[in-house]
Amino acid sequence: MSAGSVPSGYEVKDPGYPTSQENYLTNSKGILSWAFTLDHKRIGMMYLIGVSTAFLLGGLLALGIRLHLFAPDGILFNNGLFQWLAPDKAPNDIYNQVFTLHGAIMVFLFIIPSIPAALGNFLVPVMLGAKDVAFPRLNLSSFYLWVGGAVFFVMALLASGLDTGWTFYTPYSTTTDSSVILATTGAFILGFSSIFTGLNFIVTINTMRPPGMTWFRMPLFLWATYSTSIIQVLATPVLGITLLLLIAERTMHIGIFDPEYNGDPVTFQHFFWFYSHPAVYIMILPAFGIISELISVHSHKRIFGYRFIAYSSIAIALLSFIVWGHHMFTSGMSPITTIIFSALTFTVSVPSAIKVFNWVATMFKGSISLTTPMVYAIAFIFLFTIGGLTGLHLGTLATDMHLHDTYFVVAHFHYVMVGGTVVSFLGGVFHWWPKMVGKMYSEAGGLISAALVFIGFNLTFLPQFILGSRGMPRRYATYDPEFAPLHQMSTYGALILGVGLFVALFVLIMSLINGKKAPANPWGGATLEWNCTSPPPFYNFERAPVVGDPYEFGDIRWDTELDRYVKVEPEREVVPSETPAETPAHAGE
Amino acid sequence: MMSLLGDYTSSKLSVFPKSASSFSGESDWVFHFISIVCVVFFVPIAVALFGFAWKYRKAKGEPADSQTDHNTTLELVWSIGPSFLLVVMFYFGARGYLDMRSIPEGAYNVGVDAYKWGWGMNYGNGVIHPELHVVAGEPTKLTMTSKDVIHSLYIPAFRVKKDIVPGRFNYIWFKAMEPSEKVMSDEELKQLAAKDKEENLSWNYDERQCTPDGYTFYDLYCAEYCGTNHSEMQTVVVVHETQEELDAWIKQYSSRGPDESPAAYGAKLYERRGCKSCHSIDGTRMVGPSYQGSFGTMREIVGGDPVKVDENYIRESILNPKAKVAIQQGVAYQPVMPSYKGQLSDDDIYSLIEFIKSLGDASAAEEASESAADEAAETAAAEDADAEPVSVE
Repeated sequence: MSAGSVPSGYEVKDPGYPTSQENYLTNSKGILSWAFTLDHKRIGMMYLIGVSTAFLLGGLLALGIRLHLFAPDGILFNNGLFQWLAPDKAPNDIYNQVFTLHGAIMVFLFIIPSIPAALGNFLVPVMLGAKDVAFPRLNLSSFYLWVGGAVFFVMALLASGLDTGWTFYTPYSTTTDSSVILATTGAFILGFSSIFTGLNFIVTINTMRPPGMTWFRMPLFLWATYSTSIIQVLATPVLGITLLLLIAERTMHIGIFDPEYNGDPVTFQHFFWFYSHPAVYIMILPAFGIISELISVHSHKRIFGYRFIAYSSIAIALLSFIVWGHHMFTSGMSPITTIIFSALTFTVSVPSAIKVFNWVATMFKGSISLTTPMVYAIAFIFLFTIGGLTGLHLGTLATDMHLHDTYFVVAHFHYVMVGGTVVSFLGGVFHWWPKMVGKMYSEAGGLISAALVFIGFNLTFLPQFILGSRGMPRRYATYDPEFAPLHQMSTYGALILGVGLFVALFVLIMSLINGKKAPANPWGGATLEWNCTSPPPFYNFERAPVVGDPYEFGDIRWDTELDRYVKVEPEREVVPSETPAETPAHAGE
Repeated sequence: MMSLLGDYTSSKLSVFPKSASSFSGESDWVFHFISIVCVVFFVPIAVALFGFAWKYRKAKGEPADSQTDHNTTLELVWSIGPSFLLVVMFYFGARGYLDMRSIPEGAYNVGVDAYKWGWGMNYGNGVIHPELHVVAGEPTKLTMTSKDVIHSLYIPAFRVKKDIVPGRFNYIWFKAMEPSEKVMSDEELKQLAAKDKEENLSWNYDERQCTPDGYTFYDLYCAEYCGTNHSEMQTVVVVHETQEELDAWIKQYSSRGPDESPAAYGAKLYERRGCKSCHSIDGTRMVGPSYQGSFGTMREIVGGDPVKVDENYIRESILNPKAKVAIQQGVAYQPVMPSYKGQLSDDDIYSLIEFIKSLGDASAAEEASESAADEAAETAAAEDADAEPVSVE
């Protein structure tokens, strides 16, 4: 059948344009209507603005790092301007504070809340066909805790900075005179923000799924969010305890982490990574969810291996709790502990590999539209695969002795966190932007941003693998001249990456000014959020949506006359939603 | 295969630094094995990813050719299949690691004191030097501890690394395989040393590519972030061909020579024992106060009346650095200096004081006042006590 025609025997069921003109952005006005809103969509949008601001700040700090490292003795912070700004600080001190704040801001203020709190807040209830999350007030308080945590970070920055590295390793953090207490208080508060979001999503997904949406008819983004929420709720309290103990050690010398008072600094590392390794999966699991949606929708093909992808999310969430020791292979743990952690670490690679294979298989024989979100999703698979595979060199003990705490590690986790999470976050923002604001952006602009981000990112971080294997330690403000060419390549890459991100921001802002009005379903997606208008009305759905298969694309057709996707319903026996079929109707076609 | 890769890794284009210990061959072989497995997986994934994206791109509205949504056999194969390779990686990694943890009996022992920001390699008999000197082909064991925060000893050419944690000993061992070469004659070295002294510079390892003794070296880095001068916390490893050569090298540092003036020996200690990483001798403000012209001046301190920089103040500041923390132009220094109690003999401390005096002595001008005269008498007495080269250890 040709594109654009609705075959005979099919009935058009088209949500079309909204029947009422009010949507969640226009239904009430004024700053207070936003500040005290309980609407998950508005909270999601406020989070989006908040985390983007943190990303901008963290990104500028990253550019500072790269510019300083353009020459072996450092350039940027040797400049007189910085000596004038901070007369009592050596260039090395400024560098140390900049890389610390880059890490802390990116981890605590940006990556952890980015996908769950910004996109997740907007999407979880809509994908469930619900009106809101289970606890709207908890949701708003989670946002204000985020703001509170951010304020503490800014205070730490303005007081005397922070120079411990984002990992706060003792006894450095208990003895330095920088603002450790302000920063850890900030991270403590942000932890509660994260717990509130996770708790809310667990309850929402458990109790508010509509009739007919069984666990295995949930969109995979919800599986990923659910797995993430489990980690947020179970792991974050440990971070809170650790940070409180750190503050107590610093102020009262209780003798737990500082050897001067008979404490053990390695205990701190165990406590810290018991949270912070699962936290790595808080950062990447939601990205997996986004990619599963993007690849399937833009290939207009059922996701391949739904159950394997869903189970692998849960497997990752559980395994993430038992591999923290791989951050400490060189710390002097006993050989047997070290070897057990190495073995456990290898098991995590299996569920991640399963996802990659399934995404690529989903594209096979699909009908692929190379839209901006799809191009970001393809970039994600490429970059994340590199990030995942280089983890093998680090999980293997003999090679980790050489690579630990070098640029190899820096490159590895940036391939996962930036090439993975940030690229999928951008893909997700471009994918759901028409839904969130009701405007289409310039496709050409979006594609240019994706290309620049991809090229710039690889140019920044590929050389860092070689820097690391050649022995360049991380967190160095100056370095041996032999490393200069690779560092310079990396700096050029960072500038291109920066331009790419600004292009993305520009394209999205321009869409608000002169973007075309977005239809309800611009990509031909089958999940419930494409059933409501763009932007959604205050209560999300005019009438309760009919729950179908989230990856059934056979019912969605492109109508050339209307110039948009429409939903058609075949005259076939509809499977009653109360007793969903185990095997979807189109399986094995 | 191993030897072939071994040849490759010694080339300049290699992704590794020179391979110079008994571990490097194994470690590099495992690295290349993993890398080959990664490429074998990555290339088909990337080809399929870009190939499918190109081949199956279609106009809007064209349905997909297939809606196949699972194939259990295929999925089980790609879930379980690669696991066998993971087991192989784990096995080789753990095997290499156990070698690194099994310290052979009778290994040559060197003590390592790590501190902000330098290294003290302890060869026994009071010889402490920042450079690590070992013998080729013989196992060397390092017994390491830190005076302040966590550091990490990393020798890229040997492929070894171990954190150095305050309050406990951590051990590492290796067998260096490639001896250093003597690349500069003693005549040239003397000229360079004289030139450095004239221009008030310290030895530049990177530029000259050899140690002040004329040997080629391997880099030794601190790999665990430890504050301001973390990136300058570097030293070198020199591999001697024989134990006799190493013993001869150690001997020349065992104590102050009979004809050596205390100030000249103090200058060596200043270079060798880490003073110079925080204290300048040209007036520049670094992590600690500069030595230049400081002797005999009055110094503001945290939480007390200004004190005079005299022999007792210097001695106290070396043995108990946090007792009187200096303030310069209203900004207090960070109390980060580790104590040298038990690390420097009385003669060493005396030599350092004489060295500081040689950089400018302001006390002569103040001798008119009575109190200064009293202090001078006191310090003279202290000097007498210190002059005896009795070890405090």
